[in-house]
Amino acid sequence: MKVPRAFRGIMQDSSFPSFVMLVLLVIVNAVLQPGFFSFQVFRMNFMTFTPLILVSLAQATVILVGAVDLSIGAGISLVTVVMASLMQDSPLSIIAVVLLGVALALFLSFFNGFFIGTIGPPPLIMTFATSTMWFGTALLIRPTPGGHIPEAYYTIYSRTLAGFLPVPVLILLVAVAFCLLLGRTRSFRHLYAVGGNERAARASGINVTWTKIFAFLVSGVFVALAALCLVGQTATGDARSGQGFTLNSVAAAVIGGIAFSGGKGNYVGAIIGGIILGMLINIIYFANITSFYQEFMKGVIIIVALLFGAVPRLRRELAQR
Amino acid sequence: MGNYAQAQPWSSRVKTLASNQLAIAVLAVIALFVFGEIIAPGFLSFSHLMSVLRLSVFLGIVALGQALVVMAGGEGIDLSVGSVLSLAVCISSSLLLGKDANIPFALIGAVAAGFAIGLVNGIGVSYIGIPPLIMTLAMASVVEGLSLIYTRGYPTGQAPELLEALGNGRILQIPNILVLWIVVILAATLLLFRKRWGAILLGVGANSITAELSGINVRRFRMFVYGICGGITGLAGFLLLGYVGTPYLNLGAPYLMTSIAAVAIGGISLAGGAGSYVGAAIGCILLTTLSSILVALKTTEAVRQIVYGGLVFIIVVAYTRRKRDL
Repeated sequence: MKVPRAFRGIMQDSSFPSFVMLVLLVIVNAVLQPGFFSFQVFRMNFMTFTPLILVSLAQATVILVGAVDLSIGAGISLVTVVMASLMQDSPLSIIAVVLLGVALALFLSFFNGFFIGTIGPPPLIMTFATSTMWFGTALLIRPTPGGHIPEAYYTIYSRTLAGFLPVPVLILLVAVAFCLLLGRTRSFRHLYAVGGNERAARASGINVTWTKIFAFLVSGVFVALAALCLVGQTATGDARSGQGFTLNSVAAAVIGGIAFSGGKGNYVGAIIGGIILGMLINIIYFANITSFYQEFMKGVIIIVALLFGAVPRLRRELAQR
Repeated sequence: MGNYAQAQPWSSRVKTLASNQLAIAVLAVIALFVFGEIIAPGFLSFSHLMSVLRLSVFLGIVALGQALVVMAGGEGIDLSVGSVLSLAVCISSSLLLGKDANIPFALIGAVAAGFAIGLVNGIGVSYIGIPPLIMTLAMASVVEGLSLIYTRGYPTGQAPELLEALGNGRILQIPNILVLWIVVILAATLLLFRKRWGAILLGVGANSITAELSGINVRRFRMFVYGICGGITGLAGFLLLGYVGTPYLNLGAPYLMTSIAAVAIGGISLAGGAGSYVGAAIGCILLTTLSSILVALKTTEAVRQIVYGGLVFIIVVAYTRRKRDL
């Protein structure tokens, strides 16, 4: 079969398989979910998709630099717990606590990035350890879910601005703008160099330590936004509320074509990966599966999605033989 | 830098370091016991010492599986051991129903279930090329779901007398399960350093390309190592039921972090290809002693999590620094 050259180029893009999957899933979701293309459903969907996309971006950034962050979920939980413990009803307090939450998320990411950048422990174990520490701290502050989130804060999250722009979508647009801005910076290009070949990057004069810290800081921005969304969604502080985000973030990033070896993939893929995962989870709910099977199905679907993501590479390997 | 991918040339040096690190771990255990005696008199007594060692056994057996997976290299790690352990406890108890006669049946059931799950991990990692971390993390959620489906939320059955005697009983003040562990430690050490299989394991972990060139099917070998890890975890679940008596969901969750911590404390190179099980076993005793002290101090679950996480953090950072200083 003859394939036009331009099309072949698209097919070789790292996010092409995920794009195909996205199209398939839109079809499946449209069939399963009544009124999928209506504005209401679109808005509802993005209330859950946005945090997923954000953690996918966060994980993608650190995977690009050749690391991984298993503490994203626990970090988000800790931020929600701190915010729910401090927030008062006054607008000033809301703004102050939101800023504090963002600062906390950035600090947690910086902590990981600093040690991974300067001393260089395996990111996997390092962030697994910090994830346990963050979880413990969150549990210490709030052993059971609770705290106070003012109505003014959590109603914002489900609001639609100017009649056409739901707040979750606005947050997503802010994140996309941030991505576009990042793409113009030198440190962001260095991210790919360090993730692709650390030694070569160092030899060509790139500050590897800073690049890694930078990657974690950028990731922290996305984590902060995700935590703000989650607080808006759940209106509570819960030491376990973020738990699922760790696996989801890794899965979404990998589904989106971010290579685990580092240095390969892009933010478009990460965003698509987040949406795909959101739709996959949607299917579980709309297929009317009993609650006992939901956890199981979620895991199976993620493994199948990972399989799907591995297909192009496997085909390449077979072709080389 | 002490990066993951580049850590392999270090593996030979790690061996000399491991003995050093073991000495530190042993000293830490002694220090912890003395500290325990100060805060809670009787901590250092023979019977308490034995009960700490007995508790270490279950973690120790899980850590054996984890150690093998880590030693086999390829960034090997198994994040599903906690869920597999929980599932194995539930399977054993539902098959045992408190009857001694059902023991062989339940033992095979628990080990086979663990082995099968491990093999799926191995296929995903070795043949499909999914990073071990993600594959086993996703598997953890699958197995957690399996436990829910299998038990419908309420695990049934209980341990029979014979299994309780193994998990809880003592002969001449020595816990029976401890004797079993000593046998396991000797067998594992023999396997790793005196048998061909151990040489292959460490060879595959140290350099998979040379292993492949010398005629070893690295992919198939690693797949089976994951299977073995699952099977060992299944065995640990079976034994753990003898200790706890009646099962409950998420019984295995605390064993995940600690099994990895024990492996790290034991000086097993996280890049694979080096280490001994004795190190991991000492790591298990260290962690169990620490948790015993935290219990004596009446700390909450939250503080224990922070201490465990902080400990692994310090070990990993200190370990990486030392590697670089050499």
